[in-house]
Amino acid sequence: MAETAAAELVTVSVDDRMVQVAPGTLVWDACEKAGVFVPVYCAHKKLEPVAVCRMCLVEVEGVPKLQPACATRVAPNMVIRTATEQVRKFRDGNLEFLLVNHPLDCPVCDRGGECDLQDFTQRYGPGRSRTSITEKVHFDKAIPLSDKIYLDQERCILCWRCVRYYEEITGEREIVLQERGVHTVVDTFERRPLQSQFQGNLPEICPVGALTHAKYRFRARPWDLRRTASVCSHCSFGCNIFVDAREDQVARYASNDNPEVDDSWLCDRGRYSFPEMNRSGRVSTPEARVGGVRQPVSHREAIERACGGLLRVRSEYGPEAMGVIGSARLTNEEAFALQWLARDVIRTKNLDHRLGKLDKLAPEDFALSIAEIEECDAVVVLGEKPEAAAPVLTLRLFKAEQKRRRKVSRVAVDSDPASLAGQLPANGRIGVVVHQQDVAVARKLRAELTTSTRQVQVLSILDQVNERGCQDLGLLPEWLPGYRPAPAGGMGTREMLQAATSGKLRALVLIDPWAELEAEPGFREAVANVDLAVVLAAWPGVATSEADVILPGRTLVEKAGTVTNTEGRVQRIRPGVEPKLAFPPDLRSIVELGRGMGGDFGSQPLAGPVFKRLAESVPAYSGTQGGLRAIWRAGI
Amino acid sequence: MSDLVLTRHQGAPGLTALAGYEQVGGYRSLRRAIEMGPEAIAAEVKASGLRGRGGAAFPTATKWSFLPKDSFPRYLCVNADESEPGCFKDRVLMEEYPHQLLEGVLIAAFALQVNHAFIYIRGEYRSQRELLERAVQEARQAGYGGPNVLGSGWDCELMVHGGAGAYICGEETALLDSLEGRRGQPRLKPPFPAVKGLYGQPTVVNNVETLSNLPFIVAEGGARYAALGTEASPGTRLFCVSGHVERPGTFEVPMGKTTFRDLLEMAGGVWRGRQFKAMQPGGGSMQILGPQHLDLPLDFKAVADAGSSLGAGALVIMDDSTCLVNVAMRLVDFYRHESCGKCVPCREGTYFESELMHRLEAGLATKAELTNLADICANMDGRCFCPLGDTATWFVMSAYRMFPEEFESHCGAGRCPVREPLAVAV
Repeated sequence: MAETAAAELVTVSVDDRMVQVAPGTLVWDACEKAGVFVPVYCAHKKLEPVAVCRMCLVEVEGVPKLQPACATRVAPNMVIRTATEQVRKFRDGNLEFLLVNHPLDCPVCDRGGECDLQDFTQRYGPGRSRTSITEKVHFDKAIPLSDKIYLDQERCILCWRCVRYYEEITGEREIVLQERGVHTVVDTFERRPLQSQFQGNLPEICPVGALTHAKYRFRARPWDLRRTASVCSHCSFGCNIFVDAREDQVARYASNDNPEVDDSWLCDRGRYSFPEMNRSGRVSTPEARVGGVRQPVSHREAIERACGGLLRVRSEYGPEAMGVIGSARLTNEEAFALQWLARDVIRTKNLDHRLGKLDKLAPEDFALSIAEIEECDAVVVLGEKPEAAAPVLTLRLFKAEQKRRRKVSRVAVDSDPASLAGQLPANGRIGVVVHQQDVAVARKLRAELTTSTRQVQVLSILDQVNERGCQDLGLLPEWLPGYRPAPAGGMGTREMLQAATSGKLRALVLIDPWAELEAEPGFREAVANVDLAVVLAAWPGVATSEADVILPGRTLVEKAGTVTNTEGRVQRIRPGVEPKLAFPPDLRSIVELGRGMGGDFGSQPLAGPVFKRLAESVPAYSGTQGGLRAIWRAGI
Repeated sequence: MSDLVLTRHQGAPGLTALAGYEQVGGYRSLRRAIEMGPEAIAAEVKASGLRGRGGAAFPTATKWSFLPKDSFPRYLCVNADESEPGCFKDRVLMEEYPHQLLEGVLIAAFALQVNHAFIYIRGEYRSQRELLERAVQEARQAGYGGPNVLGSGWDCELMVHGGAGAYICGEETALLDSLEGRRGQPRLKPPFPAVKGLYGQPTVVNNVETLSNLPFIVAEGGARYAALGTEASPGTRLFCVSGHVERPGTFEVPMGKTTFRDLLEMAGGVWRGRQFKAMQPGGGSMQILGPQHLDLPLDFKAVADAGSSLGAGALVIMDDSTCLVNVAMRLVDFYRHESCGKCVPCREGTYFESELMHRLEAGLATKAELTNLADICANMDGRCFCPLGDTATWFVMSAYRMFPEEFESHCGAGRCPVREPLAVAV
């Protein structure tokens, strides 16, 4: 949104501090701008104000009653006071009201330590109880609303953020208010289980411990958690998260609002994927074949033996008898280093990061950004696959439809472009959201729907967390980094596996082999058949069981670097958990393999310097720091 | 000419049926209103000085004028959710003069250029609802409602909708939410209903008694209506007198020229020869008035100056055997039961207040708890989302201020010191 010109701003005073804000700004936001904290329970940045908790009542000069800061709009020269005796007394009294029927659960409540009711009571509330009421009103506790969420109606302070979340953000209306007065509760209708795929956001917007995660219940205390800002690794959308770790285990993922990407909401699939990262039985030591028998060796020795083997295979069979398979879970830095290893050191054209060969996706197929979906006059979603691949997309589409009143049409992939054209506005901006498998349809639509008054932009949805980065950086046979055409003749993953089985390919470097790859028919035979298989993996699997050299790998929550989401946004991931075993990071292992073969990477094998180096090679990536989209100039 | 407006046809036979109402000149005002046109009707209503009879006494013509021009469709909602403790005047108007109400609704609907008018009637008023539904059918068949009213080309559908028994749905925005099929809870304002009301469209919500005045105002002119009362409090008003009186009932009296004592006498005075102790002038929500206020005129300002309000026109008389702590306790219980639960100070405050009142009435509370009670009320009054929570404190606190000894004598007494033991509850 454009910055409001200074002349249009209004000046208001908050506790004698003057601030300038746009007309129509909420008093709450004006206070925040003035650096004055106003406690609130019901208001939430992403929800419409309701002014029911009354916690944010403040004095506005000239208005006899205290006004809710969360719902009152500023007027020119408004004088707001948040620290008067009247406000102080009411905050104290309102907290007393909230506590009258609140259970003394804090010692066993998940929310203890990060609870707004605790915090505000500590800061503004009554020091002691003056009630003579011996029995509180009791409600149901620990109700499983689904396999993911528990509800404790006694702890609920009825801010109805959860009810409004379901109304305004997902539109599913799964939680409702029932009964009235002091007997009011939030509940599902007839206790039907929650079905939403976005339930995990509920405990996060709950200001108290009424809604809790099944997977986090009684697992940790907030003061035991170490919080690290990172990116969810479950799909290509790149939702921003906090990795909250207790010792060496991920205790939970929490959302980390990025209005451009996730708008502060995570899907359950991503949010609750963290136990995967805690799975035990990791590859814990480097191994190599010594005299035909695989045995534990030092990391250095593993690298040396891998390099020696690779050099031998190259001198015997030539570089085209060698192949490199990475994964779409590699960071940009790792992907760039790996394609360097393949192309510049091994000098093979055989490299890939995915199983199937898809249509070549080009930057034009990602022209539309996620946030720009809201700006389109109409959005066409082709089939169910885009939302199945990136669930949070559904919430963005709902926002475009409900809040921004955009026309969102979900159509079959094989819809006739001519009939679609008739349903779309003749002027303006049209967004087409498509899954990568159907990108040809989107291109056809773009070609047929674009007119002099109608702009059509496509957003393709990829599957894996860094599929986009791996493409941008040329970890595939068709393209060099930056979508420059690669020399013809390079093999993709499936071709390499066939060549390995047939004996044409004699050495394979497998970095982070993923489940679908290992499940591919003939994978085991292929890995077993090559003269040398170098495998870097976090967990043992088919590849490690057949490998000649094994290097311990890291999970995405243990890595530093950047990943690129499907719209081309380059975002940092940071290690939220320290790996138990002190082996070098994957990036270093990859670079050392190259160096051991005589290659010169020209940079320290650290995320920062490598990013700098790759940005020189791929200019679109320079200027993406801070989580910006790579800008691809036409024709690149 | 009689000085009555609402009840001027009292005693005429068959008034609840269309024929009987037409006999006394019914629906002539509608015909006349259609000839006058919307602006002229609004001008007469302005001249009448009519103020809302639901409790807030907001000038009706001003309320109408808030509708944004050229924004259609608009809706008219009739607030027939009469639930104020001690209030039963709308019930009488609907039971005895249903067509007078419908005529008023149609006049207002025409003046506001509305094609759909909704009568939201209290859930417990089941027979009254059936009666109104019959009256709507009759009016429609006679061409007063439905398509092309009286050949004017203007359509007006009337719908009667029953509530589900919630006091809060008398609050106009909660009424709208309930009417839309939502949970009955007051809405955040602004936007006000005049701008964004029923189904998000401009809406006027008027009380039954307010609209029942319109046939008279159109027939006799706004000035004539106004002159029935005083300048500050124009017209007449229907008061419900109940409590410790010989003949409880509704009485139509001119505003400003009548006193509380007059009303009390009309109701046969305090019952059983007992002495007057106190009264509630505007229903359960309003502050207590004492013997010194009996000679106050029924005038908005005079009653406001005395620290109370005429509210919804319900006068509850209490004799000298009454324990005001007991009355306050029962009223607070009512608000605790009727709080919608939306905002904290009302939901938890009425609970806290009611628990303390029970302890006080039982003689169990300490002096400190009585002080706490006053403090809790102060934390509610003016802090709640809507007036329900605010008014839940008004009677208690005004009674405490007027009769401090009576409240204090309960502290630690072990029983209610005022009421006779085993006395049947009022």
